[in-house]
Amino acid sequence: MKDKVKEVWNEAAGRAGQQYIGARRRITVDPITRLEGHGKIDIFLDETGKVERAYFQVPELRGFEVFSIGRPAEDMPQITSRICGVCPMAHHMAGTKALDDLYRVEPTNAAKKVRELAYNAFMLEDHALHVYILGGPDFIVGPDAPAADRNVLGVINKVGLEVGKKVISMRRRIREFISYVSGKVVHPVFGLPGGVSRGIRPEDLPRFQELAKDGVEFALFTMQVFQDIVLKNDAYVKLITSDDYTHQTHYMGLVDAKNHPNFYDGMIRVVNPGGHEVAKFRVQDYTDHIAEHVEPWSYVKFCYLKKTGWHGFTDGPGSGVYAVAPLARLNASEGMATPEAEKAYKQYFNLFGHKPVHHTLANHYARVVEMIYAAERMQELLADPEITSTALRVIPTHTPTVGKGVVEAPRGTLIHHYETDDRGIITNANLIVATQNNSARMAMSVEKAAKGLIKDGRADDGLLNMVEMAFRAYDPCHACATHSLPGQMPLALRIYDHERRLLEEIRR
Amino acid sequence: MAAILVLGLGNDILGDDAVGILAARELRAGLPEVVEVVESAEAGLALLERFEGRERVLILDSIMTRQCEAGTILELGPEDFGKVAAPSPHYAGLPEVLALAGRLGIPFPSEIRILAMEVEDPFEIREGLTPKVGAALPGFVARAKEVLAGWGDEG
Repeated sequence: MKDKVKEVWNEAAGRAGQQYIGARRRITVDPITRLEGHGKIDIFLDETGKVERAYFQVPELRGFEVFSIGRPAEDMPQITSRICGVCPMAHHMAGTKALDDLYRVEPTNAAKKVRELAYNAFMLEDHALHVYILGGPDFIVGPDAPAADRNVLGVINKVGLEVGKKVISMRRRIREFISYVSGKVVHPVFGLPGGVSRGIRPEDLPRFQELAKDGVEFALFTMQVFQDIVLKNDAYVKLITSDDYTHQTHYMGLVDAKNHPNFYDGMIRVVNPGGHEVAKFRVQDYTDHIAEHVEPWSYVKFCYLKKTGWHGFTDGPGSGVYAVAPLARLNASEGMATPEAEKAYKQYFNLFGHKPVHHTLANHYARVVEMIYAAERMQELLADPEITSTALRVIPTHTPTVGKGVVEAPRGTLIHHYETDDRGIITNANLIVATQNNSARMAMSVEKAAKGLIKDGRADDGLLNMVEMAFRAYDPCHACATHSLPGQMPLALRIYDHERRLLEEIRR
Repeated sequence: MAAILVLGLGNDILGDDAVGILAARELRAGLPEVVEVVESAEAGLALLERFEGRERVLILDSIMTRQCEAGTILELGPEDFGKVAAPSPHYAGLPEVLALAGRLGIPFPSEIRILAMEVEDPFEIREGLTPKVGAALPGFVARAKEVLAGWGDEG
C-alpha cells in the first residue's frame, strides 16, 4: 500500500478500534461467562462488495512485565499461573523450567518424571474438554446444526447421556489427581527450581495407575467417537480439507531425541510447508529463531521465523509464518513415542494422504491423537519404579542471571524468559504464549474464511459460525484478557464498506 | 460439605477483576459453619463441580455494563442471563452449567444469587482496585452478609 493510503487505512482501523471499545462498553447483561478471551473481527469490503481485508483482534493484556519486575524469580511460576484460569499448569511448568535454567540446576530424574506425569494429566483433561465441549459443537453436533443446538447440551444429545457422565467423571478424577500432585488445580504450587515439592506415595500408586488405564481407554473411546461421527461423514471430511480452511505454513513443536512430540521437554523443531526440518533449537536460543512483528491495527504481536523473515500474512515456504498446537506438533514430528498414539498418528496421516497436513480444522483430529499419547505417557510414567522416589529436589547454588523455559501447552509452544539481578530479583520478563505463535496464521484463517463466505457485500447467517470455526480449531486462549462479567461475547463481527462505513454487525 | 457456598470469582492480580475475590476474603471471618467461602478464577464446567451438592450459592463477581457508575452493586439471578448459547467452555456460562447439571441429573443448588460490582479496569495485571471500586468494597461485603443473613433466617 502507498503511504497515503496506509495512513488513511490506519486511521480508519484506529477509528474502528475506538468504536469497538465504545461498543464493548454498551454490552447488556448476558450469560455469566468467565471470560477468558474475546475478540472482534473487522471486515473491510472493496467497491465491488468483496472482502479486501479482515482483521481479527483481541484485547491486550497489560502490565505483565511491570508487574513482574522487582519480584523474586521464585514467585514467577505462581504469578504466571495466576494470569490465566485456563492453562495455569502450562504457565506454572514453563515458569518452573525457566527457574531450573536460571539457577543452572538439573532436577532429579524422579522430579522430572513427576512433573511430566502431572503435565500429561493436565494435557489429557484440557484436550478432552476441547474435544467434547469446545470443538464438539462444530463437529459432534455438526457445522450446519442450528445455533440453539451448538453447545454442550447438543453434544450430550448426540453422544448420549452416559458419555456425558463419563466425560464429567473422567475430568473430575484427573483434576483430583492434579490436585494431589500439585497442591491446587488452578494455581499449582509444586514446581521448584531443581525439582518438585512433593511426589507420589507408594500406597497411592495403584489408584493412579487405574486412572491412567481408564484414561487410555477413554482416549481410545474418544477416537472411536471422532471416527464414527466425523471421519465417516464425507461432508465433514470435505469441510476439513476444503481450501477455505487450508494454509501451507511452517510448523513448530517440542520433540524428543527421536523427533517424537513431547509436551514437557525437548528441542523446538520447525518444519517447512514441505515437511522438511528447517530448524531445531534449544529454548535458550529462541531469540535467534523467533521474532515478533507488530501491526498498527492489533495489540497482538505476530510471531514469525526470524531467518525466513516477515513477508506479510501469507503462506508458502518463503513466508516466516508458522503454526503451533496439535496440528503443528504432529507435523513437526516423526511418529509418536507410545504405541496406540503411534497407530493413531499413522492413521491420521494416511487419511489425509500427505504430510504435513495443512488443514486448520484437522487440529480437532490431531488433538484426539494427542489425548491418546498423554494418557499412555501417564501410564508409562506411573509404571516407572522411580515415580515414587523421594529424591525430588536438587538445591540450586548458582548465581542467577537469565533463565528460559519451554513446554507444549495444549494450545502450542509456550516460552518463559526471565532476567534477574544476582539476588534473583526479576529485572526483565518476557512470555511467548501459545496463541501468539499462532496469531499470524489465525489472522490468515479468519480472513480466508471471510473471503470465501462473503459475496456481494452480504454475509449470510452462518458466517459468524464459519469464521469462528476457523479460529476455534486453534483453541485460542487470549486469556489472559479480562475475566469480568458479563463477557458474554467471544466475538463481534463488523462489516464495513469501501468507505469504511459500518454496514452490518453480527454478535454472539 | 457446607450447604451454602460463597464463591468469589475473579483474578486477584488483574486489577478490578479481583473485587469478587477480595470481598470473599473479607467475608470469610466470622461466618457460621454452614457457609463455605471459596475463591476461584475458574469458569464453566469447573463451576459445575463447585456447585454440586450445595443448597445455596452466592457468587461475588465483577461486571462491566458501562451503564452505571463504577462501584455500583448489581444483583442478578440465573434468570437474568440469556439462553444457552456459549460456543466454548472458556465462555461456558452459568445457564449452560445449569442446563448440563439438569440433564445429567447432578444435584444442584435450589438458589443461586449473584452480586456483581460494576468495575472500571479489569484489563491490567496489577494488584489493587481503582479508587471507586475500592471505596465500594465495604458496601459489597455488607450486602453479601445481608444475603447470607436472610438465608440464615429462612433456615
